[in-house]
Amino acid sequence: MQGRSAAERIRKAIAVVNAVVDGAGDEEITPTEIAEAIRDCLELPETANVPNVRKFLGEALDATSDGMPADFVAMTLYAALGALQEGHLLN
Amino acid sequence: MRSVEGRGRTLDEAVDAALIELGETRRNVDVKVLREGTDETLVEVTVIDPAAASSVSAPAQGANGKAETVRTLLEGLLKHMGVRAQVMVRTGSDPITLDVSGRDLGALIGWRGETLRALQSVTNVMVGKHLEEGERVIVDVERYRQRREHTVREIALRAARQVKMTGDAITLDAMQAFERRAIHLALEGDPDVTSSSIGEEPDRRVVVGPRKAAAE
Repeated sequence: MQGRSAAERIRKAIAVVNAVVDGAGDEEITPTEIAEAIRDCLELPETANVPNVRKFLGEALDATSDGMPADFVAMTLYAALGALQEGHLLN
Repeated sequence: MRSVEGRGRTLDEAVDAALIELGETRRNVDVKVLREGTDETLVEVTVIDPAAASSVSAPAQGANGKAETVRTLLEGLLKHMGVRAQVMVRTGSDPITLDVSGRDLGALIGWRGETLRALQSVTNVMVGKHLEEGERVIVDVERYRQRREHTVREIALRAARQVKMTGDAITLDAMQAFERRAIHLALEGDPDVTSSSIGEEPDRRVVVGPRKAAAE
């Protein structure tokens, strides 16, 4: 199903960020790993077909590079996921 | 505190049976799984002591200005979203925990709590400037998060019992970070078992194993 893999990748990136926020204490996650997870999302061509998805993913990547709080990165990724789901509903 | 046992084919059925007997809603009770089998599930449902565990609305929380500010911001956000709900500050909670309650708030929880988690992220971004560095706000809707933590703790204790009986490690289902944290905390004081995690997000799983084996 088109869009599913993109949603899964964004959810993975969100899970990585949330792991930092919630601090389960059983893993070390670096900003580099968060950035990698977001870049994985950007690599999917389907993220380009839906308006705003790439824009939000790019903002999340920038926020990670700039050392913004993890909650801000998570919020932006949720926005990307929302845009993706909205785009698929409209199409 | 009033408590009754409920039976059913599934966990939901067992809880519902107990709720009918108590005449209470899920929001006001704590659920303990006594037995979970393929044919029948047995639970103990306890009405939460309103004096000890209930949330209080912000006016009564006047002394804690920060919590009141955060509560007001979340209430405003929900109003803009068109959600009719009441926001309360959970007493004695550290970090600040906001309980959202109202009718038909399932959409605010979302698939596996995803919408609730997003709401918490947005709330923390909104209130960030009112908080100390590293301080966070937890958002709970209809005590979903509290129930989920309770459930995973029960799962952890059940797994620990099984590990003690068999000596074999058990790998649990993939869980979110806050759920894994609840498991690690539930088992950290147990001298016989240890918990660790394997795999990558979002498929990271807790492994409960015998402590001796872990030390070797």
